[in-house]
Amino acid sequence: MTDEQGTSGAILVVGGGISGLTSALEAAEVGNDVFLVEKNAYFGGRVAQLNQYFPKLCPPSCGLEINFKRIKDNRKIRPYTLTTVKSVTGGAGNYEVTLETAPRYVNANCTACGDCAVACSDEIDNDFNFGMNKSKAAFLPHEMAFPRRYVINKAALSAAGAAAVKAACKYNAVDLEMQPETKVIKVGAIIWATGWTPYDPTKMENLKFGQSQAIVTNMMIERMAAPGGPTDGAIVRPGDGKAPESFAFVQCAGSRDENHLEFCSYICCMATFKQMTYIRERYPDAKIYVFYIDLRTPGKYEKFREKLMADPNSTFIKGKVAEIIPEADGGVTVVAENAVTGDKIRQKVDMAVLATGMQPSLAVQGAPVALAMDNSGFIISDPEKGMIAAGCARKAADVVTTNQSSTAAALKAIQVSRRS
Amino acid sequence: MNVQPDLEFIKYLKSAGGDTLKKCYQCATCSVVCPLSTDTKPFPRKEMIWAQWGLKDKLVADPDVFLCHNCGDCTAYCPRGAKPGDVLGAIRAYAYTFYGWPSGLAKLASSSKGLPMLIAIPTVIIFVLWLVSGGISIPSAEHFSAHGYQQFFGHWDFHWLSKNVFIIDLVMLSAAGLAVVSAFKGVSSMWKGMEENAGIKSEFRPTIVQFVSEFLWPSVLEIVQHTRFRECKENLDRVQGHKPLMLSFIGLFIVTAWSATANDVLALIPALSFLHGPMSVWNPVKILANVSAVAMVVGIGILWMNRSRKEGEKGLTPTFYDWFLIWEIMAVGVTGLLAEIARWAGLAGPGYIIYFIHLVSVMMLFMYMPYTKFAHLVYRTFAMAFERYRESSFGKNPVNM
Repeated sequence: MTDEQGTSGAILVVGGGISGLTSALEAAEVGNDVFLVEKNAYFGGRVAQLNQYFPKLCPPSCGLEINFKRIKDNRKIRPYTLTTVKSVTGGAGNYEVTLETAPRYVNANCTACGDCAVACSDEIDNDFNFGMNKSKAAFLPHEMAFPRRYVINKAALSAAGAAAVKAACKYNAVDLEMQPETKVIKVGAIIWATGWTPYDPTKMENLKFGQSQAIVTNMMIERMAAPGGPTDGAIVRPGDGKAPESFAFVQCAGSRDENHLEFCSYICCMATFKQMTYIRERYPDAKIYVFYIDLRTPGKYEKFREKLMADPNSTFIKGKVAEIIPEADGGVTVVAENAVTGDKIRQKVDMAVLATGMQPSLAVQGAPVALAMDNSGFIISDPEKGMIAAGCARKAADVVTTNQSSTAAALKAIQVSRRS
Repeated sequence: MNVQPDLEFIKYLKSAGGDTLKKCYQCATCSVVCPLSTDTKPFPRKEMIWAQWGLKDKLVADPDVFLCHNCGDCTAYCPRGAKPGDVLGAIRAYAYTFYGWPSGLAKLASSSKGLPMLIAIPTVIIFVLWLVSGGISIPSAEHFSAHGYQQFFGHWDFHWLSKNVFIIDLVMLSAAGLAVVSAFKGVSSMWKGMEENAGIKSEFRPTIVQFVSEFLWPSVLEIVQHTRFRECKENLDRVQGHKPLMLSFIGLFIVTAWSATANDVLALIPALSFLHGPMSVWNPVKILANVSAVAMVVGIGILWMNRSRKEGEKGLTPTFYDWFLIWEIMAVGVTGLLAEIARWAGLAGPGYIIYFIHLVSVMMLFMYMPYTKFAHLVYRTFAMAFERYRESSFGKNPVNM
């Protein structure tokens, strides 16, 4: 790249999850200059939070590492973490985008030795693990964080903590005076790969999330099952740490519901089947009850479904859980009507997993620029304007579909960038 | 299973407030959030699919359709906006027409198209009687203050039955009699259908005393106390309107029964002749009458406002079925009170005209009871009795207990 400020042929990719990484790499490997911005301190997005992804049940490192390697090797990609889009002006072929990078308080000298975290006495909720454990205020976001560099949550740092962190660093990498930086770049097209956010489970009042520790979300199960997660891979009830003997999966928790997310989140049925394999690895005899409206496992996922539905200790009930009652022993009772038999079921379980869906992130945090969106907040691509949506910012999808749409988005963006 | 959908039935439901019916995708959220649905016989999920399939025979003999109080909790939680509460209301409207006898009259009372006729029938009957009785003349002020409306239909000298009483009884008892016969026929065939659907063989029947004391009376008590109604969350505010309204009907029933007895029977005995004529405002019966009349107007006014508000805010579909009963009761209450005020004010002319409208509206309420929403009075009561019956030993197969 010759022009420090970008060229009309450059492409901006907003979001550094699996979708943004794919779009950025595909476009850069064709020869375009790419700016890749990510608001978190690390790349990898939601996939990085998974224990495994279906249908091959690979760990996320499987897909992410190779992409990180490709980024490291590609001089055409400029990756920025902790960076958000502030404003966009201009039009297709010559957009001027203002980016703001939040201070990391750790500079490039960092070797990720971890001495600062050891020295730091201040703790914060670990957002990466959905608050199920604490991390130090000077922390590596997760085990395989890329870029591999610590972050400091300055607001949570006490004076003593700040001094300790600074003193602990042998490489002079801690810079608590770091300021937010703004830069203006010029690009021809913008790919929005802003991804998804797990739907806020407290919005379903009847499912009582937060009123019992036995009620967790499917993404919490992913973190628990992950080797580097808050429980080091054990699926146990938060709070009392009980090894559950029975589980209820509550499908469509907020999805296919016009009071919440009116669309089908596409992945939750498969996520549940996948998480059943996590449970079986740990608890071969645990009872599993899956409450569903329809089981949607398209294409080759059908095989996966068939295999798990043959599990003798698992029961599948067609009927949505519409009430969860916290019980005194720490468990919960889920209530549904079995629409096949017409009986009302009250099933007492040790843990209820809400299969919450994906809400487009921009529907939660708002878009920095006017974008064509549907009623749910999914972005509608407008290639004429050089605004292209990819991955779960476009529609709820699994990783395979996301990668396909991200590659397609890269092609569209390249076409826009070459037009002018 | 060979399902023969009754398309006319489905079309009717869609026209009567159940237009959202086909949106249901059977997730069964409704049956769980419904505060009245029981664990053994949950509803309204099964009613939704029966309705989608047009299985009207199952639905008109399904006690759960009538046990529903239209709380609206199901509608609030429905993920598809299928409004199960409104659909069940439409099924009930259909059922009242289905059971209604004579069927022509029942059909007439089922849609706004029949409204002119519905008003015309009692208007013409009462007007003709007013005409032939020779009563159409506005009385003098003294006459009006002495007799009120007691000689609306004129006067004759036969001591044992006054002309007015004769004509009013002729009209109102005929109208009420028709309603009672029709409701009896309807409830009987509903009960039979419910027994068949529940697989109850009527080899062992309760005696009438058993039936009333074990099944009917407990249901009536429950209704008066609004026990189930209070379970509702979404539409709980309807209780504030329904309760005074229902109590006002009970109050007015007592008042009517007493005045008929006192005025038209006891007063015939010379020693008790003081019982004849308009009652003093301070007569306890008159106080009950006035309190009831006010409660009626207030109660129906609350229900009127609730419904208008829900139609505005929550997109509730306005239906003739719901509004006709509200209009009827409002007309009865308002004309009744106005007629009384006109009497106090000595305004014979307006009073007589208002009283005429009052008689027309009362006759409408009586005569159309089994075909309109008012029919819930009998059908829901007996469905609640059936629910108890079904759970009793009469409802169980004695061999397979």
